[in-house]
Amino acid sequence: MRITEHPILEFQRGEEISFFFNGQELKGFEGETIAAALHAAGVRVLGHSHVMHRPRGLFCAIGNCSSCLMDVDGEPNIRICVEKLKPGMRVETQQGKGCLR
Amino acid sequence: MKKSANVVIIGGGITGCATAYELAVRGVKDIVVIEKQYLSSGATGRCGAGVRQQWGTETNAILARDSVKRFEGMNEELEYDRDIEFKQGGYLMVSYTQNEWNQYKKNVAIQHSLGIPTKMITPQEALEIVPHLNIKGLIGATFCQSDGHANPFHVVDAYYKAASRLGVKFETYTSVTGITREKGKVTSVQTSKGDIAASMVINACGYAAGTICKMVGFELPLYPQRHQALVTEPVEPCQGPMVISLHHRLYCQQTPHGSFIMGVGDPNEPKDFNINSSWEFLEDVARQATTVLPLLKNLRVVRQWSGLYDMSPDANPILDEVPDAKGMWVAAGFSGHGFMVAPQTAVLLAQKILGQNCFMPIERFGLERFSGGELLLESAVV
Repeated sequence: MRITEHPILEFQRGEEISFFFNGQELKGFEGETIAAALHAAGVRVLGHSHVMHRPRGLFCAIGNCSSCLMDVDGEPNIRICVEKLKPGMRVETQQGKGCLR
Repeated sequence: MKKSANVVIIGGGITGCATAYELAVRGVKDIVVIEKQYLSSGATGRCGAGVRQQWGTETNAILARDSVKRFEGMNEELEYDRDIEFKQGGYLMVSYTQNEWNQYKKNVAIQHSLGIPTKMITPQEALEIVPHLNIKGLIGATFCQSDGHANPFHVVDAYYKAASRLGVKFETYTSVTGITREKGKVTSVQTSKGDIAASMVINACGYAAGTICKMVGFELPLYPQRHQALVTEPVEPCQGPMVISLHHRLYCQQTPHGSFIMGVGDPNEPKDFNINSSWEFLEDVARQATTVLPLLKNLRVVRQWSGLYDMSPDANPILDEVPDAKGMWVAAGFSGHGFMVAPQTAVLLAQKILGQNCFMPIERFGLERFSGGELLLESAVV
């Protein structure tokens, strides 16, 4: 779901592009964060807590809380709430704490 | 607070807490530990947490070797309700210069004579242990699997709880303001919470040990040296051993939690009590760490801090009674490796104080070595 009209804010979206989330092709707008694109596509569970393995969603949305860490183009622990979307990006949910490669 | 005690221990770090336990478990009653802030707030809680037996002096190597055995069984021995997180992933000491390699050979000979199973390995073998090690220019490495690291906060907590069960009292946020002597003997300790009469005082204050000794008019040959460290975000386990490169002044370990703890020594660090953190350190450690372990280049830093080594002139501890102040013992000067030797340092001190047989000659750690005796020069300090 996206807000298309807002009484105060103006949305200056980039071009519509496609990216991959866990192998599945999704659409988003260039220049928005990965988290925004996933949220618009209905993705709510972004990871699981390390000890109790409970689902974790978008929490702080400003790059502080580590709730939305994902593996992006092979690099682990990317804070997708502040990382901008690019065409063809491969975004994967992380199992455990992310692996250095 | 108590008005009198048999033993007052100043310093609530690993050395103070372990010594309190070792005395109490040997039947000493009425022990009070005085700590200026909270337990492990000084060098213990700021250290790199490594536990290694690969030393260049017999004294350090024996203390560390026997302490490893204690760490191995510590959860059970101290009946700890949590886990000291002792991980024996080994220590990989890498050598990039011929001089260093020659020194390592001498060190390993000493270690072998003490039964420490260090192996001298080729760069290729080192790569099998740490696949992300940069072996360009590497001459060789030494590896000892039973080395590792533990959680200093939990180790102190384990000693604190075990000592408390034996009746030891801990007074935190209490500073020592003076020590009284009569006829060359210690009689009482003044603190911010009142005086405690005591005929025995153990000075386990690390870098502040000199300040305490001055209260009885004695100049301890110690100086403080700042060392900085950082911790990164956690990732899945990918590095077994602590990696040390003396050439790069670097140590780097991955904790069981997954975060990396690392530090570099600064050869130009002034002798000062400053424990501020600097951006220069971040740049320096990042350069050294990514040179030796390039895989870590994208890891994010979570936080940095610093602490003070209590440097003695020969990087070996001082365990001795202060001249002209009978009853005042010093356990300091650990020079950046007090945590890893603390279990056996405490045993040695307790044995000496109680007139029992010492498991190794404590005289080697005496003050006399600085006034004409033989120094125990340690080469393997980061």
